[in-house]
Amino acid sequence: MRATGQARSRIRSVIAALAAFGAVLALAACGGGGTVGGANEGPATTAQGGKATGDWTFSNWPGYIDPGSNGTIARFDKSSGLQTKYIEDVNDNNQFFGKMQPLLQQGQSGGRSLFVVTDWMAKQMHDLGYLQNINPATIPTVDKNLIPRLRNSPLDPNRQFSIPWQSGMTGIWVDTSKAPEIHSVNDLFKPKYKGKVTFLTELRDTVELVMKADGVDPATASKQQWLDAIDKLNKAVDSGQIRAFTGNEYTEDLNSGNIVAAVGWSGDASIISNKNAEWRMPTQGCTTFSDMMVIPVGAPNTAAALDFMNYVYEPKNAAKLAAYINYVTPVTGVQQVFQKTDPSLANDNLIFPTTSFLKKCTPNLNPRGGPKAVAEVTNAFQNVITK
Amino acid sequence: MSALRRRLVPYWLLGPGAIWLIVFFLVPMYYMARLSLYSGSFATGGFNFDWAWSNFPDALSANKTQIVRSFYYSGVATLLALLIAYPLAYAIALKAGRYRLLLLFAVIAPFFTTYLIRTIAWKTILADDSPVVNFLQAISVLPPDGRLLATPAAVIAGLTYNFLPFMILPIYASLERIDLGLIEAARDLYASSRQAFLRVTLPITMPGIVAGVLLTFIPAFGDYVNVYLLGGTGQAMVGNRIQSLYLVERNYPEAAALSFLMMAAILIVVLVYIRIAGTEAFIGSEEEAA
Repeated sequence: MRATGQARSRIRSVIAALAAFGAVLALAACGGGGTVGGANEGPATTAQGGKATGDWTFSNWPGYIDPGSNGTIARFDKSSGLQTKYIEDVNDNNQFFGKMQPLLQQGQSGGRSLFVVTDWMAKQMHDLGYLQNINPATIPTVDKNLIPRLRNSPLDPNRQFSIPWQSGMTGIWVDTSKAPEIHSVNDLFKPKYKGKVTFLTELRDTVELVMKADGVDPATASKQQWLDAIDKLNKAVDSGQIRAFTGNEYTEDLNSGNIVAAVGWSGDASIISNKNAEWRMPTQGCTTFSDMMVIPVGAPNTAAALDFMNYVYEPKNAAKLAAYINYVTPVTGVQQVFQKTDPSLANDNLIFPTTSFLKKCTPNLNPRGGPKAVAEVTNAFQNVITK
Repeated sequence: MSALRRRLVPYWLLGPGAIWLIVFFLVPMYYMARLSLYSGSFATGGFNFDWAWSNFPDALSANKTQIVRSFYYSGVATLLALLIAYPLAYAIALKAGRYRLLLLFAVIAPFFTTYLIRTIAWKTILADDSPVVNFLQAISVLPPDGRLLATPAAVIAGLTYNFLPFMILPIYASLERIDLGLIEAARDLYASSRQAFLRVTLPITMPGIVAGVLLTFIPAFGDYVNVYLLGGTGQAMVGNRIQSLYLVERNYPEAAALSFLMMAAILIVVLVYIRIAGTEAFIGSEEEAA
């Protein structure tokens, strides 16, 4: 009796489970279909200006603004009467794209009015119809104070959709007490530094620097030359030469003495406590990146985002920001502000690099050959990183 | 009426759990299964559903190294956790006396800090210039230029550490319930301590061991944080590949296919394991439950 009862209840529970699963399938089938990972098909829009009120949301990278009650956000809120929701949820261009893409494809921004991504990513988003255009008439202060070097970019001629937030250089951080003779990216491949060097997980920083070290100009490099440089990294991974591929974490490895040198960003001095660490311009030149403020499709309160752009392009506001974060400011007149307040900053090549200092540097670029070539190079690089 | 109502009670009780499973397990599983059969790429304008079964063999062959490595790392970590956890749980349950609560608290205490912070703390402990590494170099366990951080050993140590409480607690629970009279009886029947342990204590605590092994192995297999924080190059696990496929390479179908294969692999391992260990060891015998 007991056995049959058990058997019956087991059959019943299997039927119930099947029925539930069937219901789920039927439900999902109704909502399913369509393309995943496509462009936003809505018409291109231009961010609306005008009188801004209420609250708005700004997504940025961690540690990329001066915090506190006298910081940029607090002062902006006070002078504009707006309430800024400031969130630091951009850690990596690709990962942020992966997170936002399903929303942006639907023409939504998840409540964000403004976010900061690197210029090549801004271009990629724009090509997919994920960004709004910006009318120069709505950002007169930006139009007046943007430094000439950044007014035109092959990625965004005439600054149609991206406004520079900060720029920086990628070169080599060296622990001068342990490896004073490292000057070129090629030095990082020397056997005596085996397991003591790190590279960045950013494709365009790491691979462009490796190409430059071997005399290849990334601006004209073929897809094969990108892949050759990635192969060089692959061999260095197999031999144990490269300890890790990192984001900002290389700064911890420098601080605790785990590494003697790292490919890293010029603005990270503020988070490196190792007194012997020094940022060096690689012998064959650095790469430069520019992070952009962009307004996504579906952004609420775009007027507030435009007001904020104008605010941070006032030289005195830009100076406070630059003094704290130590990256290259895109605003003219900041150097003059520093000459009065802090002359040592005014002459700092990492904040105000001269044209001759940047002579051999190359901007972050997309591998040539369109989206397919970019995907192929990206995958090859990822296969080395997650080997 | 009341008979009908009584018959419906079990279903009402099942309701919340069933809804939870459907919404948070079956529905996402369905979408993931569907995604694993898409083809196309971002570069060519997106992915479309077309029963692309080839994603599965592709995902398997492209990530073979990392799959094997995941089994290896999580397997070793599980074994180490068992070897550490059993004596510890034994001591707490049977020998600790009035310190039992304190020791149990010590086992659970690390949970009050987040997993990430605890793993980052290991970065400091295992750093190249840390006392630990200097000591190991001094006694020639590590070569003079050797290191712990960014090695497989660090990853396995991190996995072992992070999932150790999941091994200790079920074993402790089964040891604590043990009837000491049974061990005494074994001794009275001239069993040595070793025999008494192997023939009485160990079999009785088998459900705890099986549960502990599963609770440790399954999350360790899918973990990617320990590799990311403690590992170096050439040490990626499946979780790191899935993360890269989803977020950087944006090959959603291969990522979904790989996730499915990983679940299938774990399911097979668990089934084989339960088959060997016996379902009774896993869910307890029915007589005992009744």
